[in-house]
Amino acid sequence: MAPRLHKLINRPEDLVDEMLEGFCAAYADIARCGGDRLVMRAQPKAIGKVGLVMGSGSGHEPAMLGWVGEGLFDVVVAGEVFAAPGPENMLAGIRAADRGGGALVCVSHHAGDRLNAELALELCEIEGIENVEMVLLYDDISSAPKGREAERRGTAGLFFVWKMLGAYCEGDVSLASAKALAEKVRDNTRSLAVSLSSCASPVTGQAMFEMGADEMEIGMGLHGEKGMGRQKALSANETIDLMLPLLLEDLPYRAGDEVLVLLNNSGSLTLMELFILYRHAAARLAEAGIDVYRCWIGPYATTLETAGFALALCRVDEQLKALWDAPANGAYMKQL
Amino acid sequence: MTEIGAAELSGMIAAMAARVGAERDQLNRLDAALGDGDHGTSISTAFEVAAADIAALEDPDMSAVWLATAKALMNRMGGASGAIFGTFFLRGVSLLRERDSLGKAEMSALLAAGLAGVKARGKAQAGDKTMVDALEPALRAFAAADDFSAAWSAAAAAASNGAESTRDLAARQGRAKYLGERAIGHIDPGAMTVALMFEAIDGCWPENRE
Repeated sequence: MAPRLHKLINRPEDLVDEMLEGFCAAYADIARCGGDRLVMRAQPKAIGKVGLVMGSGSGHEPAMLGWVGEGLFDVVVAGEVFAAPGPENMLAGIRAADRGGGALVCVSHHAGDRLNAELALELCEIEGIENVEMVLLYDDISSAPKGREAERRGTAGLFFVWKMLGAYCEGDVSLASAKALAEKVRDNTRSLAVSLSSCASPVTGQAMFEMGADEMEIGMGLHGEKGMGRQKALSANETIDLMLPLLLEDLPYRAGDEVLVLLNNSGSLTLMELFILYRHAAARLAEAGIDVYRCWIGPYATTLETAGFALALCRVDEQLKALWDAPANGAYMKQL
Repeated sequence: MTEIGAAELSGMIAAMAARVGAERDQLNRLDAALGDGDHGTSISTAFEVAAADIAALEDPDMSAVWLATAKALMNRMGGASGAIFGTFFLRGVSLLRERDSLGKAEMSALLAAGLAGVKARGKAQAGDKTMVDALEPALRAFAAADDFSAAWSAAAAAASNGAESTRDLAARQGRAKYLGERAIGHIDPGAMTVALMFEAIDGCWPENRE
């Protein structure tokens, strides 16, 4: 499917800054622009708590801007389209997030995100900024086989980490325990995405990759990275029947488990399609004896206007359920 | 010319900015096959910023030229490419401190420090279809030549051949690694950028200008 090439932007070189200005103008009660492409809470959290910061390439909106707010992130640092922000902006983000309880730098595992976070941590050392930790997060089962989980990419399923880690860091917790909590959620989370179309770069005005009209890519990454391969596009039920068993056997999720389910819209799938997909996923999970604690359906981490979705599961215990249900007030993640 | 000073280093960065900028669309096209198609735009913008930042410095020493370039690449480009290209310059900064000029052997050491940084940061080796495939042969050719003039010409030719050699390789590092065998048939845009950088230096070297 050919992507829409004309974008309603102004100059490509201004698009990230103009997007941030528009976002912060729209949600001034929640977030503000902090310069250096930082988006931070309108009201910072209390002194002494662990600060959460993350860099994120642009083009995934509402991720990560929509996750700044109470019960969520303290600071998000925006990069160019699909490119992690550089180390000096990350350093500025770490400084802004640190409220005296240290800062946890969350990295959605891609080479650029990891390298720039590592460089920022080196700058922290040079500048004498202590009590900064980095946690590497990943969930995409198509990007490396079982047993090599640490090589996997970070994708839409990290949604679960953002929410629960954000809630956790509202409490009086240590930096080390915050990192451990992030790893716990990560290690119970698995995602798989499929895609039916490409998307167009707002920078170059060209399609990011080619995709035939009747094709489907299984396991596409958050930036159109190749997954497990291409095949003829399937029906909704066939697609779930292909994806769900792969997810279930990877962790594995077993009968009696309770899970959170995310159906993440990659950009331009219709809600109608997502509900039809969820209908079958819910039926198959029930057959497998797996209880759905809560489910979320919508565009949470997009790949511009790609037509596709990710199915993500997170196994929860009492601690994680309480964190999931804790209040959150981001522009695109609200929990009352 | 047997010694390079801060003015020559500044001139080299300006020449790279011009050359990479002129090939911006070609680099975008190469990247479209393997990545998200904006490598040319992002690296040419970063080099332009580097050249402008250097021009704005008052009487910069050599380390300031390299540091300004490293910062522009890392912070303006971002992503893995910005971190890795930036590291190439960053690793040379300490070698340039307290120096007024470089002979050919010192220049060789400066480039080698950059290469070592690139390999360590990106965990890439020759044959992984990355900029290392252009950079490593260029440095070998540079070191083997007798004087600056011959060295830049040899390095430019070796980098260009190295970039061309990535066409037949499967990708093993960077975002293209998920393509694996599907990357064969396409030149790596990072390797091509390295070739353009050396061509730019060769083209602006006084004895090599056409």
